[in-house]
Amino acid sequence: MPDQPTASERFLQGILPENPVYRQLLGLCPTLAVTNGMQPAITMAVSVAFVLVCANLVISLIRNLLKPHLRIVIFTLTIATFVTIADKVLAAYLYQMSKTLGPYIPLIIVNCIIICRCEVCASKQSPFIAVSDALGQSIGFGLALSSIAAVREILGTGGLFGVQLLPAAWPDWVIMVLPPGAFITLGLLLGFVNWLSMRKKGGRI
Amino acid sequence: MPDMKSIFETNLGQAWLVLLLAIIFGSSLAGVQAALGPRIEENKLRETLEKVPVVILGQTAVDELQAKEQTLTILPNTVSVTRQGVTKFYTLYRADFADGTTAGWVAKTSGQGYADRIELLVGMDQNAEKVTGLFILDQKETPGLGNKIVEDAWRDQYSGKSTATPFTVVKLPRGGENEIDAISGATISSDAVTNLVNQAVSDLKPRVAELKTPEPKGVN
Amino acid sequence: MNYLVDIILIALSAAVINNFVLYYFVGICPFIGVSRRVDMAFGMGCAVTFVISIAAFLSWTITTMVLIPGAPLSSFIGGFFMSKEAAATIDLTVLSYIVYIFSISSSVQFVEMYVRKFFPALYKSFGVFLPLITTNCAILFACLTIMSNVVGVENPADVWDLGKSLILALFGGIGFTIAIVIMSGIREDLDICDVPKPFKGAAITLVIGGILALAFMGFTGVDSGLRKAMTRVPETAIVVSTQPSAHTAMIDEFIRGDMNK
Repeated sequence: MPDQPTASERFLQGILPENPVYRQLLGLCPTLAVTNGMQPAITMAVSVAFVLVCANLVISLIRNLLKPHLRIVIFTLTIATFVTIADKVLAAYLYQMSKTLGPYIPLIIVNCIIICRCEVCASKQSPFIAVSDALGQSIGFGLALSSIAAVREILGTGGLFGVQLLPAAWPDWVIMVLPPGAFITLGLLLGFVNWLSMRKKGGRI
Repeated sequence: MPDMKSIFETNLGQAWLVLLLAIIFGSSLAGVQAALGPRIEENKLRETLEKVPVVILGQTAVDELQAKEQTLTILPNTVSVTRQGVTKFYTLYRADFADGTTAGWVAKTSGQGYADRIELLVGMDQNAEKVTGLFILDQKETPGLGNKIVEDAWRDQYSGKSTATPFTVVKLPRGGENEIDAISGATISSDAVTNLVNQAVSDLKPRVAELKTPEPKGVN
Repeated sequence: MNYLVDIILIALSAAVINNFVLYYFVGICPFIGVSRRVDMAFGMGCAVTFVISIAAFLSWTITTMVLIPGAPLSSFIGGFFMSKEAAATIDLTVLSYIVYIFSISSSVQFVEMYVRKFFPALYKSFGVFLPLITTNCAILFACLTIMSNVVGVENPADVWDLGKSLILALFGGIGFTIAIVIMSGIREDLDICDVPKPFKGAAITLVIGGILALAFMGFTGVDSGLRKAMTRVPETAIVVSTQPSAHTAMIDEFIRGDMNK
């Protein structure tokens, strides 16, 4: 059996080298939908982190009881439960943000990142490794969301977190906070990240 | 046949795990619902009820009341108006001062805006003779354009105007009665809000008389 | 007549104006990875539409019959354990998401069996993509939209019935199909273009998706204009009634509770 990456290696892998959005292209639905402001983006990243860590932990604890046939059912059940909990907690304590995020919190259930991590890592590794993997991926996801949200919010409203940063004379690029802006920003940033990693690999474009 | 038997065994073999997990998760969800459900309901209602005094009296007057530790009593009513088989529901709130006199009325109404539904509160004084204010609860209009209906300056155009004549949206105000200056680039959103206000006022003005408290006997 | 207007507007809105892919960002994964063959993309779109409709039917039925407070099945079963009034307040909506995702999985299984039986060649060409439809956000999104129009709606007149839910699901799927067919047609041409290396693949597809979304933005406001054109509401009211409702009673209780604090 080949050497499995250690816990800390998995943690670091998830942040940049195997970033769920930029490198694995998973979980694009919330990435485009909630990044029109920094606040929704960070709330979403925290929610995904909660669900990912809890789901990985639970699946890893019962990994020896899983058999091939019903494991997808069990993954789905676990993830749906934690997403419901996250949704209720948000609605209770951050009601305005919950309304802004709307249906995208329940859509975490079908977020490919979580099912993918459960399948690839949690169902085969010990809880400690599973949790550090989950944390790494969550931080990577949060970084990706924040980078896109920062670009969209600054160009679209002239500020971050609702605080005006650019001078009032800046004509807001409203398109940035609308759907087309989401697609184009992600596409351009993705191209940029690809270019950086190609350079790092020592090739020439 | 042996294939069927082994499939049966493996599936049944793990069915107990699925059932056990389902029961555990189900009960934890029930617990979460019991703990947080009331709080969520509260959040929904509080959103509207906090705004009712502000729409009637204005923020400064509400702050003064709060400083004196007084609040307005709010009584809700549902009014349904039917036209040609189409029923529209309003929630009409009556706000009373501590001494029992009516401070004013607030109607919650919603309708189609430019991009999606707009939900708003429109306030009237105690005899429904004047519009006291407007508050947009929910909207998804274009940011930077239709979005401006939430701005104080635009909403203040409705405050203090008489309910006798309907509001009209104009692009160049000429100083006429009940003219609302449209947001440049967002005529449809401005139209939508004005129509909602007009319809609410005309539908509910007659109802106000029905639901008013009788004046307290004697003069204070 | 009014019902017809509502249905037409829901259909138009789901398919074109608020397109699932280009406005609500659901169903992006198959959109980005769509094949370069238009007929494959069309087949994928049809499969998704089929699954969405079945899933929406299941979701609406279970939500209305079992989950919401006062639903027939839950109050019937609850009636065995507690009084009729208490049974009418059993609120199982906290289980909604679990119910929806399982009804989606079952719909996908059902469609898979159907396609394998009747269209074996199509089944082979789909390969692994058919089971992957379970993780397609568009289906769960349709179920969630239906839920938000059935659960916790203030006006009883605004609650969606089965017809409106199915129309939303069907035309949402059609809108998804439109989007991915357009995208796959563009990708066919993209293969012979000189795309810079960092942008090859997902990045350029996203940028093109953005331009498509920009084009579809031109449809905003069509539904409000259509609604105005199709409905003429007379100025004078005919029947007016003032009465308490469940919603008002809830507000009343809340206020009294507040005042007693």
